Amino acid sequence: MAEMAASPNNDPVDVLIIGAGASGAAIAWSLTETRMRILCLEQGDWMSSSHYPTTRKNWEAQQFGAFHVDPNVRGRDTDYPVNVTDSPIDVLNFNAVGGSTINYAAHFPRLHPSDFRVRSLDGVADDWPVTYDDLEPYFVQNDRIMGVSGLAGDPMYPPKQPPLPPLPIGRVGEVVAAGFDRLGWHWWPSDAAILSQPYEGRDRCLNLNTCMTGCSQGAKGSTDITYWPEAIRSGIELRTRCRVREVTVNEHGMADGAIYYDADGRECFQKAEVVIMACNGVGTPRILLNSRSPQFPDGLANRSGLVGKNLMFHPVALATGVFEERLDTHMGPNGCCILSKEFYETDPERGFVRGYNMQVTRGSGGPLATAMRGLANGDIPWGPGHHEKFRRRFDRTVQCLAVCEDLPEECNRVTLDPDLKDSNGIPAPKVTYRLSENSRKMLAHGLERGKEVMRAAGAVEIIETPLLRPAGWHLLGTARMGSDPERSVVNSWGRSHDVKNLFIVDGSIFVTAGGVNPTSTIQALALYIGDRIKANLANLFDD
Amino acid sequence: MENATIAADALTEVQHQRLAALQDTLLPASADGTLPSAREIDFPAYLREQAPEFRAELIRILDRLDGGFPDLALERRVELVREFSQSDAPAFRRLLFRVYDSYYQDDRVRLAIGARPGPPFPGGHSIPAGDLSSLEAVKARGKGYRR
Repeated sequence: MAEMAASPNNDPVDVLIIGAGASGAAIAWSLTETRMRILCLEQGDWMSSSHYPTTRKNWEAQQFGAFHVDPNVRGRDTDYPVNVTDSPIDVLNFNAVGGSTINYAAHFPRLHPSDFRVRSLDGVADDWPVTYDDLEPYFVQNDRIMGVSGLAGDPMYPPKQPPLPPLPIGRVGEVVAAGFDRLGWHWWPSDAAILSQPYEGRDRCLNLNTCMTGCSQGAKGSTDITYWPEAIRSGIELRTRCRVREVTVNEHGMADGAIYYDADGRECFQKAEVVIMACNGVGTPRILLNSRSPQFPDGLANRSGLVGKNLMFHPVALATGVFEERLDTHMGPNGCCILSKEFYETDPERGFVRGYNMQVTRGSGGPLATAMRGLANGDIPWGPGHHEKFRRRFDRTVQCLAVCEDLPEECNRVTLDPDLKDSNGIPAPKVTYRLSENSRKMLAHGLERGKEVMRAAGAVEIIETPLLRPAGWHLLGTARMGSDPERSVVNSWGRSHDVKNLFIVDGSIFVTAGGVNPTSTIQALALYIGDRIKANLANLFDD
Repeated sequence: MENATIAADALTEVQHQRLAALQDTLLPASADGTLPSAREIDFPAYLREQAPEFRAELIRILDRLDGGFPDLALERRVELVREFSQSDAPAFRRLLFRVYDSYYQDDRVRLAIGARPGPPFPGGHSIPAGDLSSLEAVKARGKGYRR
């Protein structure tokens, strides 16, 4: 380490957290009461609400550029490239304090109780080593901190009480809900990490419809404005523009810190007693696989060979309904309106196991997005026919997404690309992924049901998207939990089987994916792991 | 004054004429007259303020157009632009994106399509809460989850 440049304040720390997104923020906050010296390294910047696109006239164009959801398109110097040439689904994320909560839709469902018991209930994959009931108090705690709006009483969940009343469902919600009612199907207003009322010093949602390029109002619960301010006030240090290359180990095979590049590109070393990975289901295996040593020649914590394997997305099929009446679809939260769990639980007669969430969203958004998506779909031409077609689409399209549960398969994986590298020369992740037959059947079923509800709601035209390519928000399963060190990477509280002072708290540790957006469960798990760490501090590294 | 504008935009008068014709080809005025032609958008100003990196490519595109392009009928201009879109799809897509972006930022256009002018923040929007009364029937179906 002697040749490495000295970095400011790189005295040894008790706990080093890598990544300041959804899970890194939650566990940092959870560990504040230990009074340990805790440092978080984040490769991105602090974002500023005044710099989000919504404050400028070209706000729409930026979703196609500097605020694109795909890091390969966005190409900020704080991003790393991802090779997705062997995947039908693109990886989406954001790299900043707050991670992908900066540009997520904040659709905030919890996994269902059955999602933790898929082997017992449906004979597939594996049960989780934790249950819904184990996580329930942490769901509640996380809802309170993130600021979740929703409506109690959904019969598809055990009783729960969101801290804030539901967001308005608007004309879109009313029209599509009527379609669900006509079919006799379940529907419910979405839980959302978006404020329906002023809360904890943050103001309510202004219905900007720009959740996925950052919320200027601060109504959306991103962790840079929820967990982090409180964690930092409590003494945790957060260092930005620090990109970790590898986690290092000592002669005893214990993690002893991380090598990272600082804002000036200098290679630095940070010593730590405990290392916590919180870089998402692609970023975490990338770093672990790049952390090779004589003790771990195949990557850190990878004696099972499972680091990077069992990658799960949520494959999405999309039915876009076009309505004759205006539905205000360029207003309101993009992704949070109403949902249906009618096809969430397994029904063998459908020809596949597990199920999907039907998420109703607000269509194409603003006029530029409407025009560009219409161009891509081939239904809004440029030239003399443009205006007539545009008028039939703008403010009149609604999307019903079938968010399908993906099952773990070792062939779906994250590896290190032999050629592609980020701006610091660190190997980029390569995603190898194929859809299973079960997922294909589920997607087809979900698309048909989406079309059915759109027709029932009165859509005059339906545009089909059998598989949405830009849908890789949810990056799960690449360092799975379990009790068997040969079949899992971490134990039931996120501790590596192989390296007793290495923890993982992000979506990598999911055993199965469920069929809902995972952020609520990722954060509840991080809080749960935080409590387990605190409860075991005296013998944290024991077998 | 006109010369100064040309210098600042790095567009010649010929290029200006071709640009206006190109804008009009991509987005002509609506038949009912409620939406203007894109030629009425000050694209050079848009380029200067929001997309200076696109200027060099725009000039290359304009210089590829036939000298008589501005004088052609709309139908013929559409044919020529379609040929361009097929021969260099990436460049055409970048051009179209910029023309659309400049057009749909324009206050007149936004008002005509029923969108409020300007960025959404801080004004925001109001949307109705919506009718949740039919959820009573959803609840009446009873518990729908498994443990």
